[in-house]
Amino acid sequence: MKNFRWSRELTLVVLLLCLFGAASILEPKFVTMRAQTLLATHLWELALVAIPMLLIVITAGIDLSVGSIVALSAVSFGLMFERNVPPVVAAGLTVLVGTVLGSLNGWFVTKMKVHPLLVTLATLAAFRGMAEGISTARAISGYPDWLLNALQGPTPIVLFALVAVATHLVMTQTYFGRWVVAIGTEENVSRFSRIPVDRVKQWLYGFSGLVCGIAAVLLVARNNTAKADMATGLELEAITAVVLGGASIHGGKGRVTGLVLGLLLIHETREFVSWHWKQNELNLIVIGSLLILTVLLENIAERRKDRKPKVAITATENP
Amino acid sequence: MKNLLSILALAVVLVGCSGGDSAKSEAPKESGSKQITVAMLPKKKGVPYFTSCSEGAMEAAKELGNVELIYDGPTSGDAADAVKLIDQWTAQGVDVIAVSPNDPAVLGPAMKRARDAGIKVLTWDADADAANREFLVNQATPEEIGNSLVDAMAKDLGGESATGDVAIVTASLTAANQNEWIKFMKVRLAKYPGLKLVATKPSNEDQKLAFSVTQDLMKVYPGLKGVFAISSVAFPGAAEAIKQAGKSGKVLVTGLSTPNDMKTYVKEDVVKSVILWNTKDLGYLTIFAARALADGKLKAGDTTLAAGRLGEKKVVGDNVMLGGTITFDKANIDEFDF
Repeated sequence: MKNFRWSRELTLVVLLLCLFGAASILEPKFVTMRAQTLLATHLWELALVAIPMLLIVITAGIDLSVGSIVALSAVSFGLMFERNVPPVVAAGLTVLVGTVLGSLNGWFVTKMKVHPLLVTLATLAAFRGMAEGISTARAISGYPDWLLNALQGPTPIVLFALVAVATHLVMTQTYFGRWVVAIGTEENVSRFSRIPVDRVKQWLYGFSGLVCGIAAVLLVARNNTAKADMATGLELEAITAVVLGGASIHGGKGRVTGLVLGLLLIHETREFVSWHWKQNELNLIVIGSLLILTVLLENIAERRKDRKPKVAITATENP
Repeated sequence: MKNLLSILALAVVLVGCSGGDSAKSEAPKESGSKQITVAMLPKKKGVPYFTSCSEGAMEAAKELGNVELIYDGPTSGDAADAVKLIDQWTAQGVDVIAVSPNDPAVLGPAMKRARDAGIKVLTWDADADAANREFLVNQATPEEIGNSLVDAMAKDLGGESATGDVAIVTASLTAANQNEWIKFMKVRLAKYPGLKLVATKPSNEDQKLAFSVTQDLMKVYPGLKGVFAISSVAFPGAAEAIKQAGKSGKVLVTGLSTPNDMKTYVKEDVVKSVILWNTKDLGYLTIFAARALADGKLKAGDTTLAAGRLGEKKVVGDNVMLGGTITFDKANIDEFDF
């Protein structure tokens, strides 16, 4: 037991197992493949957006504007479609719109040196307002069936898997991944170590925008509608998943594996609560409690470890 | 290891707790025919209008005894949340889903998925694409609503011989429901030659805009005697404009709303009549229609439906008609609480 390390992933797995255990007793139908596939259709936009959010949080930043970027991208897609732009081209341009919006956040953060919380709080409002403005708050519907079908079913899952695996590899195998963690741990030290801090941040906010653009296209296809009030509150759900997944809001800590489990736990809990108690407003309370419960469980586990003397190791070398 | 054990113990306790809980909540009620589950979705949960519909639905479920009613909806009015609920009910395998769609285009695919899974789908209060549902439980025809509005205004202005300018403050110029009502209002206005429709203005579901539009109308048309504010948002806006202009009783306003929303204006004599269909009966009828649909007793080509205390209700095409409007005025508005 000496090398046994309690990790956030383990906590989440235990909680998930408990949930499924309870569910199989209380609501056997919930634990069927059929039900799970149907329920999972609503998860993917959040799951996608949460990945770049994780990286940004690891750099001790935050992106509050993701929901608004999704909305503005979605509305752009709708307007292009309405003007007979071929859907495939429109989808590509939508992803570009998202990327530009995200990069704009990055520009403010790195060049203007404004705190990401302020920048993205401002763009949260501004992008949403623009989405409402350019669409005059209308719903734009009427997409062809082939498009809707192509973007549903396995497509979002494959996209998510690609982004998640790629991000995991980048974070664990590359310099870039180490830079991200280093920036969040000690930004000044990172700068002295010649890590291209601003460029890394600029990339991450752009990546966040890009993924939001993809999520926007998926969301429009799933709802058969583009509307300015879509994805409201997405940023909070994404941040919750990131924190539940074990990332530290102070930066320097977080893993894709934890995030994926965190997402899964939020999703399953939410669906189960609404399924069993048939009151979907209970969800908010439960998600909040879940976050606290996870942190508590881990604290109990950590406390035992802390009794032993601990040596803090920082993996930064000064030039 | 101790930690792991303690967590497992916690899990067992959690499972135990919730297990006991469910045993209490699921008391099976068997009476005659098969027990069914009906899921009822309002446009938005927690709105007085829909809450009173749900009261009627609960009454019907209790009376039938073999219907388990799930009443749930988005608290934000977000159509995407409504889709999640429909998908969840589909996964649960409920028998009937009754939907009041706040956005038919968004809810359409989910309703189709439910039907593909063998679930009966109804719409109530508002309609969706006819291909995605079997019947609509229709509260009142546009003709009935148009007639009731005009008749109430004429009555309040002195009956058959009422004279003066009237104007309409509508939701938006493209709102399908309102445009249908306006069409029939114009037909009905011909019955009262003294009433002259001078303007139809949009308020875009914005109470402040309804307020300023009504102010403008009073300035532009000094002979204005009545305003039809035909959306639940426009109605209080128009009433407030008249009240603040000190023209209570001189310029009348009527429209569609729930009694609680307009109670103060009615008591202050700004509004004489508030028109609405019976919301409780709408919920009640929806459950009876759902039960009949699940039993195969309500099918295409039927012309009537037996609906408990409401008696026989007309079925026209694929619409189950509730029919009839109620007028709330100073004398009766306190009897209604929704």
